[in-house]
Amino acid sequence: MITGSIRRGIKQGIDTTLLLAKVVIPVYMFVTVLRYTPVMDMIATMFKPFMALFNLPGEAAVVLVLGNCLNFFAALGAMSAINLTAAQITTIALMLSFSHALFMETAVVKMLGVNEIGMTATRLAMSFIVGIIAGNIGGLLQWLK
Amino acid sequence: MVEIIKEAVFGSLNTIFKIAVIVIPLMVAMQLLKDYKILDRFANILRPVTDFFGMSKEASFPLLIGLVFGISYGAGAIVQSSREGSLTKRDITLVVLFLVNCHAVIEDTLVFVAVGANGFILLGTRLVAAIMLTYTMSKWLDKSDPQFK
Repeated sequence: MITGSIRRGIKQGIDTTLLLAKVVIPVYMFVTVLRYTPVMDMIATMFKPFMALFNLPGEAAVVLVLGNCLNFFAALGAMSAINLTAAQITTIALMLSFSHALFMETAVVKMLGVNEIGMTATRLAMSFIVGIIAGNIGGLLQWLK
Repeated sequence: MVEIIKEAVFGSLNTIFKIAVIVIPLMVAMQLLKDYKILDRFANILRPVTDFFGMSKEASFPLLIGLVFGISYGAGAIVQSSREGSLTKRDITLVVLFLVNCHAVIEDTLVFVAVGANGFILLGTRLVAAIMLTYTMSKWLDKSDPQFK
């Protein structure tokens, strides 16, 4: 019984890894190539004022969009492909831990008969508020150094 | 061009490897928890939390399941408990509010730690925020709609 559980667990782990490889590899490649094109500069410039609220570079908009529309792993792929400081990684992780995979998870909430729009709005609001606080604390610490 | 492709291939494989090192042992642990129904034994462990929010004691189990396994499993546990008729609309709203902000805490935290985030800040902030939101909502529900129970 216990070896069966372990075997199933390992299989599940490998399946999950393969599943996320299918997401992480294309996203990582796409973002890496994008970084060498003018498109990434355009995105970065466009989102710079907004991302500055969270003390993040404009490119981070790509990470947040992927995490919210798809899932964590797409965001991880994109996140690893752009240069970020440890504080910025924590800020993005905080923001995404409050709101991610919104299409999928909102469907789950709706199924339970709870006000799904309110719940999703709360998640996005939390993500922004926590992002602003964490980003500024991170920025302050950087400045003190 | 070759450099870019090389960077993309090695970079993405490296990221996958970092995640796999966490995900595989974690899935083994989760499978053991599920197969041996270990969490059932701790079904009441979150009773102080549910008492604090003024929920039914049966809300403890879905909350625990959601915190450990994720929102889909939490939702499954909610459906099961509400079929047995032990959860009120108020309980469900509060459990869902807590869980949308804070779920699958082990997996989510470790995966971000693998790419360099601070796990203590991550988990601490999520827990505190979920508690504050749920508490505020519980007071607000009681005030605005005492019939909600």
